Amino acid sequence: MTANFDSPSVLSMHDAGVHFDGVKAVDGVSLSVSRGEVLGLIGPNGSGKTTTLNLLSGMLRPTVGAVMLDDSDLSRLSMRKRVHAGVVRTYQSGRVFERLTVFENVEVAALGAGLRRGAARAAARSTLTQLGLDDVADLPADSLTAGRIRTTAIARALAAQPRFLLLDEPAAGQNETEAVQLIESIRGFAREHGIGVLLVEHDMPVVMGTCDRLHVLDSGRTVIEGEPQRVRKDPQVIEIYFGKRA
Amino acid sequence: MTTQVLVRLRTPLLLCAIAGVVAVAGLAGGPTVERVAVLALISIVFVTGLSTFSANSGIMSFGHVAFMALGAYTAAFLTIPVPLKGTLFSQLPEPMSFLRELQSSFVVAVVVGGLVAAVLGLITAPGIARLSGLQSGIATLAVLMVTYNVLSSWTSVTRGSSSMIGIPQATTLWSGLGFAVAAIIVAWAYQSSRSGLQLRASREDYWASVASGVSVGRHRATAWVLSAFLCGAAGALYASFITSFNVSVFFLSTTFSFIVMVVLGGYLSLSGAVLGAVGVSLLQEVLRRFQDGQFTGGSALPAGVADLMLAALLLVVLIKFPLGLMGSGELGQRGRQQQTDEVEPQPEGASA
Repeated sequence: MTANFDSPSVLSMHDAGVHFDGVKAVDGVSLSVSRGEVLGLIGPNGSGKTTTLNLLSGMLRPTVGAVMLDDSDLSRLSMRKRVHAGVVRTYQSGRVFERLTVFENVEVAALGAGLRRGAARAAARSTLTQLGLDDVADLPADSLTAGRIRTTAIARALAAQPRFLLLDEPAAGQNETEAVQLIESIRGFAREHGIGVLLVEHDMPVVMGTCDRLHVLDSGRTVIEGEPQRVRKDPQVIEIYFGKRA
Repeated sequence: MTTQVLVRLRTPLLLCAIAGVVAVAGLAGGPTVERVAVLALISIVFVTGLSTFSANSGIMSFGHVAFMALGAYTAAFLTIPVPLKGTLFSQLPEPMSFLRELQSSFVVAVVVGGLVAAVLGLITAPGIARLSGLQSGIATLAVLMVTYNVLSSWTSVTRGSSSMIGIPQATTLWSGLGFAVAAIIVAWAYQSSRSGLQLRASREDYWASVASGVSVGRHRATAWVLSAFLCGAAGALYASFITSFNVSVFFLSTTFSFIVMVVLGGYLSLSGAVLGAVGVSLLQEVLRRFQDGQFTGGSALPAGVADLMLAALLLVVLIKFPLGLMGSGELGQRGRQQQTDEVEPQPEGASA
């Protein structure tokens, strides 16, 4: 089979792990995301969620195992090349380009994806409209409210023309209603454009109703993967996850 | 859309107008004022060049005077009359003896001066593209050190520590103004280009720009080479104005003086660089007169007082306005104060 970057349908990780000086931050994790679905990656703090996202996005290279896009091995590709292959990430704190305008933030990502100037501007305009950021398009990104800074970060990721979107706690710092609302709109967007979403989140109630499947990590290893209702009832999950709160 | 373009055009128009005011002031004053004005216009060419790299990449360069030096030496080789060159460069190595016969017009010398500097820019670009932060600053300084040492030691070609003399005076108020306007337009066009926008994104957040698919190294290299060209042209203009120069001028004190201009004005802003060049040129002249005793009833102050006061001013500005007077804003664009009041309590998050 030849690699076909035009229509990859599955982003996956196979027995992948990364070791920092002998410490296994992620150890033998396998997972896959299909286009159009939302996979929730959950687990307590330090369970390896962000490290897993870093492995998929190219911020880290796996020391064992592989990251695949359909049949092509992405493991050695840089983050920038993975963006061009359609795998785009966001950062936990948003990390918008603070002194650029909201419009420029989004335009940069469209240019980075290889669009020409006119096409990039058109893509930026339509993305801003879809996410309701039209009224702040010409303001510097750091002048927005925290919630809209996060939305700008998501708009920027969407403008990079992703086929797979890796979101690192996009709703952190927002209350549960706002978080669910934000993730619902991301899910709508993903279905409409056939984007596969990996959602890192530590708040269990937020992911229950919004994700198609959940993948639970603890200490860098997979605990269970499955539909939210099934995962919630798993005794191991209750112990390591809910147990800590009780 | 059209109005947006007009708004964007206000910045280069205002900056060109400032350069125009400098030229007119030079015209109105005596020979001393004219000299200050021409040097200020040459400084505008240099700092727009420096700013093309540093304002967009966010990396301060301490090495751009090396490009200026190459431009100045190139202009010297191209414009010193052939008979004089025969005596000045009698020891020129055989493969380079063709340099003795070269002769070009002033404008060609300025452009070629820029091109030669751009070649040094191309050679050093791969290193600059890979480095960030402190490492990058040191690397730019290393470019200056290497260039300075080659120029001051390669006596048979550069005359080493002997002065370069006999360059025909060609830079005037008007040609200085013309090149300053051209440099402002080039710098502004780069800043607005897709490469400039992506480079500014990497300045704001390196990893976020990589995650947006931006090829940071490529854009850094582009800006570096373009800025080398502009600073080389500034060097050629300089040589064609003062007619004789010594290699020692292209070293740390000149570097410091340009850094003061860019930092005072705002090193993330093209407008800041231009305003800084004009302001500091004026200030240096006032301080020089002060040091000479023109304001203190004729009793001269100790040498170095002028530099000391400039350094003190730099310190005060760095403490009060770390990003300089302009910050990261541009003349003619909406001020940040007006922009920072978006705090209306709107429902947050994405509304589809």
